[in-house]
Amino acid sequence: MTVDKQTEEKLIALLKQKINRQLLYYLDICARCAICRDACHQYVATKDVHYLPAYRAELIRRIYKKYFTRTGRIIPSLYEGKEITDDLLDELYKVTYACTGCRRCMFYCPFSIDTTWVLSVAKTILIAAGKGSPILTELADAAIEKGKNIDLFKGIMLDILKDTERKLQEKVGDPKATIPVEKEDSNLLYVALSGEHTILPAAIIFHQAKENWTLSLFEASNYGYFLGDTAKAKTIAQRIVDEAKRLKVKEVVVTECGHAHRVFKFFYESWAKEKYPFQVSSILEIIHRYLKEGRINLNSKYIKEPVTYHDPCQIGRNYGVFAEPRDIISQVSADFREMNPQREKNWCCGAGGGVVAQPDLDEFRIKTGELKVKQIRQTGAKIVVSPCENCRLQIETLNEKYNLGIRISSIMDLVAYSLLIPREQS
Amino acid sequence: MAEEIKVDLELNLKGLLCPLPMVRVSQNIKNVPVGGIIKATATDPGSLADIPSWAKSTGNEILKSERIGPEIIFYIKRIK
Repeated sequence: MTVDKQTEEKLIALLKQKINRQLLYYLDICARCAICRDACHQYVATKDVHYLPAYRAELIRRIYKKYFTRTGRIIPSLYEGKEITDDLLDELYKVTYACTGCRRCMFYCPFSIDTTWVLSVAKTILIAAGKGSPILTELADAAIEKGKNIDLFKGIMLDILKDTERKLQEKVGDPKATIPVEKEDSNLLYVALSGEHTILPAAIIFHQAKENWTLSLFEASNYGYFLGDTAKAKTIAQRIVDEAKRLKVKEVVVTECGHAHRVFKFFYESWAKEKYPFQVSSILEIIHRYLKEGRINLNSKYIKEPVTYHDPCQIGRNYGVFAEPRDIISQVSADFREMNPQREKNWCCGAGGGVVAQPDLDEFRIKTGELKVKQIRQTGAKIVVSPCENCRLQIETLNEKYNLGIRISSIMDLVAYSLLIPREQS
Repeated sequence: MAEEIKVDLELNLKGLLCPLPMVRVSQNIKNVPVGGIIKATATDPGSLADIPSWAKSTGNEILKSERIGPEIIFYIKRIK
């Protein structure tokens, strides 16, 4: 069914705003060579044309042709122009919110077409049509609400942190060890995820490195980014940027969370049209820096079981951090095994881009994780390490559903645990 | 003695990490009638701030939350 005239005009006007050289290049240059067919884990696992990267972009191309080219306007059926209808928007939703944004298709595309970027235009259209992902909208709104009412939640959070601080003191054997919050002039503002599992290991590492740090009151993850709503994504990230400015920190350190790190490193400054007065780093880079500077020393090769590493797409292929995690793992593991393929050619785990948070995609992400399962099995590893929460949640699910018999760890956990083992026991 | 809350649906969210406790509550709120109550038991400490934020932004109500050892229990009323 055709959408009403007012909505149609609104969506066309929005698409017009989004048309730039980059989008036109992507829409024009696709040669339909289908190399992306073999690059997308979702297409390989399902053989459903909707998950073919070229087809995903094709839906936007058809709308563009119908409304912005003379031939498409006059004879749309001949020139592949498509009117905006509810069915088309539903199809666009299906192909867009299922994409993990891994950009493996872009890596293999001879013209480097960034399908994820084209789909960010699709997300803008879907949101304007009132068809953005409902659950991602709820999660983004909850984060914004938390930011607005931080004084209300601060007491609860500080209370929780007392428990974590007690655990830290026990683990490092120092009753004066603290998890500082809102400490001005710290070197680092560490941005963790919601919950304790990304706070305690980082606190152990910072304590051992004698770092002057403070913990952010906010979680790193940004569901506004997954949703494709730049205004919401900016508001969510701004809570942390404002906190960093207020505390006058030198560096904002993002925990092991692929998309959150990318938001701070690559997007926020252009969204806000401002330059940070601080540096942005991933916790992986900080750990690696401590090791190079001799501020922490790991117990050599204490892990005897075979270990493999899953390159998260947002940290590996889309940011270029490949060497640091391998260097860290090799220091603590006696038997490190690479997946095949790995680094920029690694297969996506199947749950990035907010897919893990969308219950209607649960079965789909298990199915499309088949390639990751095969890769893990081929290594024979008993421990899979990955510095991304989304990837770890997905690999946990795959472990359960495919009986992989593995343990999943973050880099921080490996490092913190290694720091706590007395050398003679390693 | 405090009045007992009549629960329409119990959710076991133990062991789930963010955002899954919020996702499961959101998914299941549709399974109780308006005015109905979900009792959700989580273990992720982050849910202490996350679930009330979710309730506030979606217009639902946290009737009560309590911590019993490592468990965090929420009584969530569906408002709309």
